[in-house]
Amino acid sequence: MNRAERPRASAAPPVPRGLVGTPFEPRLRDLSVAHAWADWSGRLSPSVLVEVEAEYFSIRNQASLFDISPMRKYRISGPDAARVADRLVTRSVGGLEPGRVAYVLWCDEDGMVIDDGTLFRLGDDDFRLCCQERQLGWLCDVAWGFDARIGDETDDIAALALQGPTAFAVLEAAGLDVPSLRPFDFAEPEPGLTVSRTGFTGDLGYELWVRPDAALALWDRLWSAGETFGLRAIGSAALEIARIEAGFIQTGVDFQSIHAVERASRGRTPFELGLGRLVDFRKGHFNGRRALARHAVAGPRRRLVMLDIDGSKPARDALVHVGARREAGHVTSAVWAPTAKRSIAFAELAAAHAASDALRAEIYLQKEGKWERRWVRATVTDRAVWRPARARRTPPDRR
Amino acid sequence: MALDQGSRIETVVIGAGHNGLVAAAALAGQGARVTVLEQADAPGGMMAAGHLIWNLHPAAMEALGTEAQALGLDGPALPTTALDPGGRHVVIEGDDARLAGGEPHPQAAVYRTLCERFRRFAGVLAPLTLGPPPRLGEGWLTGPGLAELRGLGRLGLDIRRLGRREMQEFLRVAYSNVADVLLAEMPDGPLAASLAFDGVLGARMGPRSPGTVLTLLYRHLGGSGRRRPEGGMATLARRMAEAAEARGASIRYGARASGLLIAGDRVLGVGVEGQESIPAHAVFSSLGAGPTLALAGVEHFDAEVCRRVRNLRAEGVTARLDLTLSDMPRIEGLDARHTQGRLLLAPSVAAMEASFDPVKYGRMPDAPAVEALVEPVEGGARLSALIQPVPNAPGGGWSDGARGAAIETVVALIDRALPGLADTVTGAALDTPSDIEARTAAPGGHWHHGEFAVDQMLMLRPVNGMGHYRTGLPGLWLCGAGAHPGGDVTGLPGRNAALAALAEGVRR
Repeated sequence: MNRAERPRASAAPPVPRGLVGTPFEPRLRDLSVAHAWADWSGRLSPSVLVEVEAEYFSIRNQASLFDISPMRKYRISGPDAARVADRLVTRSVGGLEPGRVAYVLWCDEDGMVIDDGTLFRLGDDDFRLCCQERQLGWLCDVAWGFDARIGDETDDIAALALQGPTAFAVLEAAGLDVPSLRPFDFAEPEPGLTVSRTGFTGDLGYELWVRPDAALALWDRLWSAGETFGLRAIGSAALEIARIEAGFIQTGVDFQSIHAVERASRGRTPFELGLGRLVDFRKGHFNGRRALARHAVAGPRRRLVMLDIDGSKPARDALVHVGARREAGHVTSAVWAPTAKRSIAFAELAAAHAASDALRAEIYLQKEGKWERRWVRATVTDRAVWRPARARRTPPDRR
Repeated sequence: MALDQGSRIETVVIGAGHNGLVAAAALAGQGARVTVLEQADAPGGMMAAGHLIWNLHPAAMEALGTEAQALGLDGPALPTTALDPGGRHVVIEGDDARLAGGEPHPQAAVYRTLCERFRRFAGVLAPLTLGPPPRLGEGWLTGPGLAELRGLGRLGLDIRRLGRREMQEFLRVAYSNVADVLLAEMPDGPLAASLAFDGVLGARMGPRSPGTVLTLLYRHLGGSGRRRPEGGMATLARRMAEAAEARGASIRYGARASGLLIAGDRVLGVGVEGQESIPAHAVFSSLGAGPTLALAGVEHFDAEVCRRVRNLRAEGVTARLDLTLSDMPRIEGLDARHTQGRLLLAPSVAAMEASFDPVKYGRMPDAPAVEALVEPVEGGARLSALIQPVPNAPGGGWSDGARGAAIETVVALIDRALPGLADTVTGAALDTPSDIEARTAAPGGHWHHGEFAVDQMLMLRPVNGMGHYRTGLPGLWLCGAGAHPGGDVTGLPGRNAALAALAEGVRR
């Protein structure tokens, strides 16, 4: 609008160029040998600090520390906060108690998934939504007409993911006593420090949330407590292996956010992502409900499935065929799962072929400058390839 | 309050404006039980903002089960006199333009050619207005979808049938602005301005705004001339209401819809302020999209639809001024028939565009275009004037000062054309966009409940996701000027909405 005052250039705060460091940047820079940095939503994020294999095995056998500060964090508060949360996400928020976290999806008017994330119920009228992509404009749209405030807390909260079988022991050694936290619980063991039993690894793990000015002290505290428990700082590459193994999908990789694509046909419904259980038609209207009701009747066009792939070669970007030459879909993310010792892949298949027992992956490999093609059998398998019982045990093991 | 599935279809229409009444009559005519809720004590709604009828559609009259004569619309078409500051007034009757002195207008032939072309072009668009807008890419394989597809195909054929040169011309001008199209053919002056006026009346547009050719073409759809309804707009509204009642609709005046009864994602009835609520299989709202959404509650609509409705352009810039005069005004060189015809104070297209500029910034123009009607009454005369444009909210709102100043400006303007009139004014009442909004709930006091522009028409009217008279909320339909094909007293949105709902099955 012409009427809006344009702020004077000199009055605006300086705009940082390039990637912006998180509150943990000094520690990460000290530890980084690989100097492999990635862009996570405009923030500096390590893809590898030292060595990806060692970092991966710290997730599975010891404890790992990953900076999740770039995660977008939004506050939904006010008398209508619960109504806004229920309007936003496809599952019911009504039964979510304060002190609990829910994994949630949200959709556009056509029932196509916009993003997924975790919803923390801080109080009766107070929520925090954590997710990968920027959502402020969308949340304001959803909250329009309701007595609720939307705040972007991304830069007000620094966060660490402490994951692995010795994670609880590290917390205990650091003086943070949270034995009774069940999966998807959170608590505030100290003023200003929130600990949630959540994560992206499928294993025992916690996420810790503090003010930015308390970030380095928290890091140092965990770091010294973790010394005898094999604590290691990790980058996103190790986490990527763990999350596929745990059967967690990632926006922009395993499916495209409908807000990020030009082609409407690239949108996917929760049913197509295998997350139909997160859609609750009984709770009244929510965004995309009517379209989802139609999709529920029509059935999914495609299915995102986990494939167990013969051999040991990661099936990255492979096409998946049914029978001899009929294309059924493609791999969205693939990895050699080191703990499960299987080659696995998320693949999006035409719904008609998603139950086929004649699936074959067409894998291309480069061997010292020469491309080779492999046709290998692929079998649809349970998506949680690695979900140990210890991940859910309460109180957790100390190891 | 349960509805008996075996009994008649129960419907409620919100608003007894022309579209509400036509919808009610169309529904009742098909056997539905219809209750019309009107917050005012009389029918008509937005009709009171105008003073002439020129395109009440025969199909709407058919839905009302009545005809022009019974509605008092069978009088002779009014001549238009485009007043010229230099005294060379232009008299327009049908396609014929001449000077008031009797000699032919130098541009008479050009004018006739233009009128004929606009009518041909309008004829191409006409079939589109008689049903729901075509769907794009979805639902074509349904019964109604196929009919719409045929309609779309016919539009293509009709454009082709214009002939190669005419087709090129149609496609060239369709999204253009009326100033460019007119001034390419004739010099600027009252005659050109008379057509430009048809392109902008009721809209927040100047003659140079894109899309004004389209509004002009829509205005020429009826093409049967302008008529002053016998007894005035209120009488016409009453006759339409009586026609709807004769069809079986029951109208409750002083009854304000307070909300909708909704359960299981379906409208089950309407709450009425201070009265018992009314159960219904289907509710037809002749309100604008925004007020309709607010009535149901935003929680029943997806965020995208709410955003589009919120951003819908609906800023009325048309006002009506009613003057009581102690004497019948006289215009030099005009006989009584023309003096009591339609008087247009719009000296040029350029002046109209210039008067639109201050309006964009919330200021009253010095010389807006004025369409005036004068008629003698006992002890003097009565003048009604449509003023195009006025600011939607001068300096933030229509204060007493702003009203007084606007009346003064317009009276002085009319006085220059009708000398001596100012001294005979004994009473003045200004109906501003904010008055219209307060009286009818029309968003922004806009004549059409939403700007009539390419991005807000056909399947995008009022907004994407609410086209085809459907709101998304099952059982709630739009039947007002905000819906396709749009504003003016055509009755088509009301008729089309009723027929579309009946065709799809209102109980579903």
